[in-house]
Amino acid sequence: MVSKDFTVKNKMGFHMRPAQVFVNAMSKYPCDVTIKFGDRDINAKSIMMIMSACIKCGSEITVTANGEEEAAALAQAAEMIESGFGEE
Amino acid sequence: MRIVDLLKNEAIQLGANVGTKDEAIDLLVSLHDKAGNLNDVAVYKEAILKREEQGSTAIGEGIAVPHAKSESVKTPGLSAITVPTGVDYDAPDGRASDILFMIAAGTDGDKHLEILSRLMVMLMDGEFCAKLRAAKDSKEFLEIIDAAEAEKYPEEKTEEKKEGGYRLLAVTACPTGIAHTFMAAEALEKAAKEMGVTIKVETAGSGGSKNVLTKKEIAECDAIICAVDRNVEMARFDGKPVLKTSVSSGINKPKELIEKALSGNVSIYKSEGGADTSDDSDEQESFGRKVYKHLMNGVSHMLPFVVGGGVLIALGFLIDTIAGNANVGGTFGFTNSVAAIVFWIGKAAFSFMLPILAGYIAMSIADRPGLLPGIVGGFIAANGFTFKSLIEGKNLVGDGNAVSGFLGALFAGFAAGLIMLLLKKAFNWMPKAMDGIKPVFIYPLLGTVLIGLLMIWINPVVGYLNTGLSNMLSNLGNSSKLLLSIVLAAMMATDMGGPFNKAAYVFGTAAIADGNTWIMAAVMIGGMVPPIAIALSTTFAKSRWTAEERKNGPVNYLMGLCFITEGAIPYAASDPIRVIPSCMVGSAVAGAVSSLLGCACPAPHGGIFTFAVVTNPLGYIGALVVGSVAGALVLTLLKKKKA
Repeated sequence: MVSKDFTVKNKMGFHMRPAQVFVNAMSKYPCDVTIKFGDRDINAKSIMMIMSACIKCGSEITVTANGEEEAAALAQAAEMIESGFGEE
Repeated sequence: MRIVDLLKNEAIQLGANVGTKDEAIDLLVSLHDKAGNLNDVAVYKEAILKREEQGSTAIGEGIAVPHAKSESVKTPGLSAITVPTGVDYDAPDGRASDILFMIAAGTDGDKHLEILSRLMVMLMDGEFCAKLRAAKDSKEFLEIIDAAEAEKYPEEKTEEKKEGGYRLLAVTACPTGIAHTFMAAEALEKAAKEMGVTIKVETAGSGGSKNVLTKKEIAECDAIICAVDRNVEMARFDGKPVLKTSVSSGINKPKELIEKALSGNVSIYKSEGGADTSDDSDEQESFGRKVYKHLMNGVSHMLPFVVGGGVLIALGFLIDTIAGNANVGGTFGFTNSVAAIVFWIGKAAFSFMLPILAGYIAMSIADRPGLLPGIVGGFIAANGFTFKSLIEGKNLVGDGNAVSGFLGALFAGFAAGLIMLLLKKAFNWMPKAMDGIKPVFIYPLLGTVLIGLLMIWINPVVGYLNTGLSNMLSNLGNSSKLLLSIVLAAMMATDMGGPFNKAAYVFGTAAIADGNTWIMAAVMIGGMVPPIAIALSTTFAKSRWTAEERKNGPVNYLMGLCFITEGAIPYAASDPIRVIPSCMVGSAVAGAVSSLLGCACPAPHGGIFTFAVVTNPLGYIGALVVGSVAGALVLTLLKKKKA
């Protein structure tokens, strides 16, 4: 199991477009991916779960990957979140 | 922010018959338009389509949530449709979408993220979606959402504080800022507590604002109640729902106000470049109320000048009396050098009285741009700049005969305010890039020129009036003493420094030179009665006056006794129709008594301090008492009881 802490950078937070892109990317990996936000564990492969968490700009989150290809999944998650999903 | 507050009945269409994604979008956008959420339908639709280009907003399981943040959104809101046959919305799971919510959000803040989040929490519940699909009408649709929301967010209804902030904010302010401001605040707080709503109330009282609302609180609140009878800083509420009302409704019906504020039917406050131009809320106020509010803004700012200046001038008379200068005539009050110091400092404060009155009336009407032309207009009214001097080849100097006094200043204040409003409208066409130079260059320049031109045309009219009045007095001089005394005394109370007052006073002083000192006695007593009559009424008929008016009452005894008629101006300015006639009656009675008892006064100024040199001083005091009591009685009868 691998995990990493992030601060959401893009101004609009985890709104629908980043959530979709993120879910699509994570769904390609066979491992489980979860986002820990506050005291909630969110399934990173469900857009509804992510959207319902309302993760705003500046939120502290922890992404955890567990299972096959976990390192690759976390690396891609890191790249996406740290680049602000290509947004400001 | 609850879904049911954002989704209006008319923005829901169940069993919609749409064949394509485009048709679905068209329908949802038109529902937003119907609910009045949009400023510009085309712009909003474009934003929606642009968002869809980045990837479909369908999220699977038959649900799609198209959304856009756009300037074109007037009020954040939702529209919803159900499509029994489903519509292909490029969903990730390939399923046709049959429940569609469209979100409209403004460009600032995280509102749309919060709306989305909340929708998702509810839509994740399969049972909830099934119920929505089965809803018979939009009312049932809303009830299902309401019930689900209450279940998922049970803390909402009883929630004490929303993320440490407040659901409701309020500002209370009355013209005087002593009692009603705080009564309204207390009433609102109490009602909110009973209703389980969090509220923070800012009191904009006379000692400055307390419990001031922060930017963060304003950003986070659901609505703002402004229970104000004078203008308060409004620009900070830009883009928030603001319910504007009077202080008295804050005191009398706080619950209704809170309910209304939270109903979602409150118009969004729009501030234009820091100017108070919320047309919506202003329209709700009657014309009379608006005039009163502007007037009170001027009066409350003028009051310190009147009191400060008046007391110092009175002190000048007192010191001169002690120094034994009661007999010096025209220079009484500033013969002794100490007396002169306080007297002229007091006069300095007095000289700002009318400019400040006019300036703050104009500022109340047109916001900050109004201040300059108002002050200039008031100054010209107080100094009698008149066009007529030019014609007579005397250049544009102040002409004592053409001083339009406080009535002229009232006129100047309202005229300046209106001129600035018109100027703002007239320069709307200028490109946005030029906005910066309007308040620093165009408004001050044009506003000053326009009010100046207007006032130098008003003043000569006053000048003619003055001349006419003087002629009338000269003619009257040949008829009975009693009639002349009555008319002169009443004129002193008519405009407290304007043409009537001036004509009477000049006539009185001129008469001293001719040895007719009985005329000056009537003039002086006529000028002493108004402040005393008002003071008596504020002392003995408390229910007719506001707390601030009562508090300034005692100073008026002093000013009246010192023949400083100006003490009455704040009262006369705030309610001329009742105050002026009452004062005139009181002064007329005093003038009559003075004349009948054969009083005479050889000094042109000084009030009570000249009584030593007055003929029949006891009779003169009697005239003052009778006149003041008569004036106070009429005033008390005319004035309405305050709530």
